[in-house]
Amino acid sequence: MKAAIVGGSGYTGGELLRLLLGHPEVEVTQVTSDAMAGRPVGRAHPNLRKATSLAFVPRSALVPADVTFVATPHGESRTFVPELLATGGLVIDLSADFRLKDPAQYARYYHVAHPRPDLLAASVLGLPELHREALRTTSLIAVPGCIATATILALRPLAAAGWLGDRTVVVDAKSGSSASGRDAGPAGQHAERSGAMRAYAPAGHRHTAEIEQETGARVALSCHAVEAVRGVLATVHAFVDRPVDDKELWRTYRAAYGAEPFVRIVHETDGLHREPEPKILAGTNFCDLGFASDPADGRVVALGALDNLGKGAAGNAVQCLNVRAGWPETTGLEFLGLHPV
Amino acid sequence: MTECPECAATVANHDLILGEVFPCPDCGTELEVLATEPFAIQPAPTEAEDWGE
Repeated sequence: MKAAIVGGSGYTGGELLRLLLGHPEVEVTQVTSDAMAGRPVGRAHPNLRKATSLAFVPRSALVPADVTFVATPHGESRTFVPELLATGGLVIDLSADFRLKDPAQYARYYHVAHPRPDLLAASVLGLPELHREALRTTSLIAVPGCIATATILALRPLAAAGWLGDRTVVVDAKSGSSASGRDAGPAGQHAERSGAMRAYAPAGHRHTAEIEQETGARVALSCHAVEAVRGVLATVHAFVDRPVDDKELWRTYRAAYGAEPFVRIVHETDGLHREPEPKILAGTNFCDLGFASDPADGRVVALGALDNLGKGAAGNAVQCLNVRAGWPETTGLEFLGLHPV
Repeated sequence: MTECPECAATVANHDLILGEVFPCPDCGTELEVLATEPFAIQPAPTEAEDWGE
């Protein structure tokens, strides 16, 4: 299958390229970057030097492929994805432009009316754990955000169990610097990032809309920048309407994800890594989920950890392609991570 | 087959012997074989601070 990447000079585009170059069923034909047109892709992604002879091309030179991955900043893909779809290929968009079903929610969180609400309705959120069957036939896949993915996977079993009532769920998320993208501005400078434990969105983060859409829960999300390059840890505080013990939580999460190839339930009674930790997930497509019950407060704590560039973006996009193409879902995504790292 | 007392995972007896300690495949709890027929397990005693003194 021939694949193109639009917006390939960023961190997400680089991770996509890394995964696709190792994918046995995919041939990457073009990687676009207007800013780096003509330069070898290894200039932006030094880990890929000598792995490919591809050079960046401007988006105006894009030739339709069987699948086009879009890794442009939010707000751009909504302007050209309709043209890509018209060529008949599959589009997998990693930006936020087609994630929300409700145009009013899109306008609320992105401060502009969506120009193609019909495509909001037609797109399928790229989360195989929730939408596997719909992904098999769609032509537009919208890959959810990294914090949203970790939170949705952690929270959804609790919401589906009906334990939340109408109580607001509090989510405290930490993310690494690569989540801000290659052009993060001052937030990405060493002087600002080193040692950071900075609340960059204590309220109103855009991923709130995706989480509420996919879980049906009312969510209060706070996001923090921490000193890591890759990684998201979402800590979900859910107040439940009856006592829930560890065994019931195990059963609930097992029922939801027991057969999932990239979701691991991590809640061990001994050892250093008893609960999910994003550090050991760097470069992988895993989302590790953990939990703990706090009966004194009627609280269940759920944890979701992933690599924001992996299961939080590029890895998940490749998993969606595997589902759509009918290949084994783990194809090209077998990396188990590093330890120590 | 029996159930892990900590996480309710299904645990099978694969050539385990009486008294053997093994980890639960899901939650990692150290489990001790109380009986092989019928198969029965319990969390293994944890090491107290003064063991080995």
